[in-house]
Amino acid sequence: MELKLANHSSYPRIGDSPEGQLLRRTIALKEKGEKTDADIRAAEDRMTELALAEQDEAGLDVVTDGQIRWYDPISHLAGKLTGIHINGLLRFFDTNFYFRQPVVDGKIERRQPLIVDEFKFARSKTSRTVKAVLTGPYTLARLSLAKDAGAVQVGKLAEAYAGALAEEVAALADAGATLIQVDEPAILKHADDFGLFESGVRALAAQKKSAQLMLAFYFGDVAPLYSKLQSLPVDALCLDFTYSPKLPAMIVSEGSSKILALGLIDGRNTRLEKADVLAREIEEIASGIKSGSAYLTPSCGLEYLPRDRAQLKLKHLATVRNTFLGKGQ
Amino acid sequence: MSREKLRQLGIDLPILPTTSVGSFPKPDYLMKARSEFAKGKITREQLEEAERRATEFWIRKQEELDVDVLVDGEMYRGDMVAYFSEHIAGFEQGGLVRSYGNRYYHKPIITSEVRWQGPITVDWWKYAQSLTKRPVKGMLTGPYTVMDWSFNEAYPDRKAACFALAGEIRKEVQALVEAGAKIIQIDEPATSVRPEELPMAIEAMRIVTEGLNAYFLTHICYGAFENIYPQMLKFPVDNFDLEMSNSGLDMLDLFKKDPYTKDISFGVVDVHSHVIEEEPVVEQRLREAMAVIPKENIWVDPDCGLKTRSVDEAIAKMKVTVQAAKALRN
Repeated sequence: MELKLANHSSYPRIGDSPEGQLLRRTIALKEKGEKTDADIRAAEDRMTELALAEQDEAGLDVVTDGQIRWYDPISHLAGKLTGIHINGLLRFFDTNFYFRQPVVDGKIERRQPLIVDEFKFARSKTSRTVKAVLTGPYTLARLSLAKDAGAVQVGKLAEAYAGALAEEVAALADAGATLIQVDEPAILKHADDFGLFESGVRALAAQKKSAQLMLAFYFGDVAPLYSKLQSLPVDALCLDFTYSPKLPAMIVSEGSSKILALGLIDGRNTRLEKADVLAREIEEIASGIKSGSAYLTPSCGLEYLPRDRAQLKLKHLATVRNTFLGKGQ
Repeated sequence: MSREKLRQLGIDLPILPTTSVGSFPKPDYLMKARSEFAKGKITREQLEEAERRATEFWIRKQEELDVDVLVDGEMYRGDMVAYFSEHIAGFEQGGLVRSYGNRYYHKPIITSEVRWQGPITVDWWKYAQSLTKRPVKGMLTGPYTVMDWSFNEAYPDRKAACFALAGEIRKEVQALVEAGAKIIQIDEPATSVRPEELPMAIEAMRIVTEGLNAYFLTHICYGAFENIYPQMLKFPVDNFDLEMSNSGLDMLDLFKKDPYTKDISFGVVDVHSHVIEEEPVVEQRLREAMAVIPKENIWVDPDCGLKTRSVDEAIAKMKVTVQAAKALRN
């Protein structure tokens, strides 16, 4: 089985070194009127370059821009769409990280690119494959507020977000993205909404052109949905194993026709996993992956870790792969 | 029943006793001292002198406002988890992680077995209590929250880390009880985030409090109570200190369905707003509480710690809290 190393999505936008403080300092100075928007963009560019350099150093096959410019995974996208204003802070799932909630009060439309320019910038700075990452329509809808809340509203919002995101998927494919990841953690907590979620996935998949589409799930047990996910029109599934003790056995017994991104490295805890234990787990899982292709990846974005630990986790991906290759072949 | 427990402890409180959740804003001179200490410009003794001065300021201020159960205001604490992780062996200070937007904090890492090394808050409690005849609450962060807000490299899983912390935090509670503290608050704000772990948080609290002779409160905030009520009533504490006004008193609807069975410290003012509530608004919130929960079970306080408000705002919010409670006592 081919096993590539991939970053998941976010990467710390701060570090304890003076250079690591660049973006935080620039934003603070901008609030005092001592820096401009252009200065913030330059700081974001620099921090993105640093994130890419650290992924490069770790030897990853697939990198991301680290979502350095993102205020959070929700408002960064929703805030660029029409019909939405951004409101107060809410906890992001079970993390200690807070996002600003979108309030939908008009027609949701995409009148400007969401992350295409960010993707292009990252691609211009590395020779490695850059994965474009979006938050999916169901998760955006679930974490938004509409005037008349409830299941019907979530459905309408998910449909509207899906329309806008499908355009972004097409634009990313046109810009040369070969791998597009769509994060849908919210569906793990609301399995009854699978139909709504699936409609959104189909809308995005219809626009992916020659790009591969990967769905990412984290912060919950994906095992109960695993069989249904196999029938979706996507190329790959990125799975968080840290919440799913039964998942390896399920992959072995049910198999996977999709490429799997194995989120075996815990993106929420600093402890480094035992490489030999993970290598054995990959060996076991590999027998179920009929596509013959997998990624080894953190379980979620790495922004929840301090920078030095995030860097160690990335390097650990290579250690685990080497151990796997030494044992498996 | 809890009122009887208080009487046995020698504490006689009026109907609708007033208190606060724990933290008060640090006066400017203390903020300056903390910054100078961090830069190495003043000694720890000089910093502690400023902390004592600020503690005395808040004790006097609470007496002036006629608050019934006082707090030391946590003048010596930065963050509610980092403070305990700095004093319990087994932790390392981690690097910065983002809280939101451009805000970051140092998240502690449990790197080896946790171990209580001796009293952490006891001297501060004794100092605060020496300044007043009114009861001062002992204040701690609970094991579930310390675990949830730290990385864990030392224990096999979250539960093992949580229970190990519970055993050590119990020693601090014992030390507070031995020093004379009769009302002890053990904050567990992280409790409502993972409903499936509620039994773990409850068991951890049992480890901390079982068999110790004090009146226990716990403060839980950050919403999602619908996921843990009424199961949370199994917490072995006498009083839940809850953020009520921030959520439009939504929890009262839950209490109508499943009766609330403990004492409550009912949050009547929003700590996230600069606006000082008018007294009739606060009184109305209390009346709504009294329509659902027996009057003798209700304590009155702000939603949460007031440390993010200015000193003047915090005083004004405490003042209207006390006035409203007094107005409804008779």
